Amino acid sequence: MSSRDQIDEKLERLVGQVLREQPLQRAPAALEARVLGELAARARLPWWRRGIATWPASVRIPVIAGCAVCVPLVWILSLWLAGHAVSVAAGPLTSLRGAAQVAASFGTITAHIIQSIPREWLLGGLIAAATLYASLFGLIAVGYSLLYPRPQYAKAHLT
Amino acid sequence: MRAYQDMVFSTAVRLTANPAQAEDISQEVFLRAYESFENLRASQKAGGWLKTVATNLTLNHLTRHRKRWRLFSEIFSEDTREEEFEPAAAVFDTVLTELETDERSALVEQALARLPDHQRVPLVLYHYEEMPYQDIADRLGISLAKVKTDILRGRVAMAGLLAQSGVGAPSDRPRLPPNTRGAQS
Repeated sequence: MSSRDQIDEKLERLVGQVLREQPLQRAPAALEARVLGELAARARLPWWRRGIATWPASVRIPVIAGCAVCVPLVWILSLWLAGHAVSVAAGPLTSLRGAAQVAASFGTITAHIIQSIPREWLLGGLIAAATLYASLFGLIAVGYSLLYPRPQYAKAHLT
Repeated sequence: MRAYQDMVFSTAVRLTANPAQAEDISQEVFLRAYESFENLRASQKAGGWLKTVATNLTLNHLTRHRKRWRLFSEIFSEDTREEEFEPAAAVFDTVLTELETDERSALVEQALARLPDHQRVPLVLYHYEEMPYQDIADRLGISLAKVKTDILRGRVAMAGLLAQSGVGAPSDRPRLPPNTRGAQS
């Protein structure tokens, strides 16, 4: 075992001992009152605003049974609606084609505009955006390093 | 509840270093305990159950806020040099042998609370909760190597903070100022 490992092991043992010997911290005096107050507030809620596990059995069982019945019903209904929607949508598909043509022509116009901009401008814009992004990131990083409460443990303090 | 409230609160406050958040978490722990009251009332393991729930709720709470600090904490991680280990061990030796229990308790809690989250959380999980390195890495979603490094740096940083507070120095040196993290956040 190297000297570093030995010192590391000693440090671990000492820190462990120091922390294990720490007494418990006293809870705030108001904690118990807060918990009891919250329990009382929850107890005042009507049954239907509490968890389903606490609902009366006379309500809970029919609700669960109703949900169980609803699942296949919803499945069947959605299949029927999907089939119906396909047949109904066959007509408006022609108007959708028109909308697609409008979108395509808009895309063509946009492409023409971009092509008319000098390449140097585009490249310059991209470089400016990247520089701004990097500057902002660097600024935040420097701000974090200055403001974040990191311990300063210079050697001078340890010796 | 009275029998366990200090334990639950201590678990939460050591991980968060924020008494207000720890109080909220403690309240949630006891509300959950109330929901499981029938199972817990006769159980010998009620204390363990409460401690586990307190730890999990606190870690969940920290995880929600962790993405903010993890990135920069990894960018600005310092190297721990070998020559820092021995003086750090000497500081803890002094803490154990020379300080009265009350003074030691206050200084250690303050130093622990002033560690950055990425060092304090694994340090507390390792030394107080006795979780193995791998479990800590899994729970925090970070690498095993980072857990080990953060715990190591946390120990050295804690020694530095204790040294700043005057441990191992003549008694006229100023002690650590009161922790204000909880009040700030």
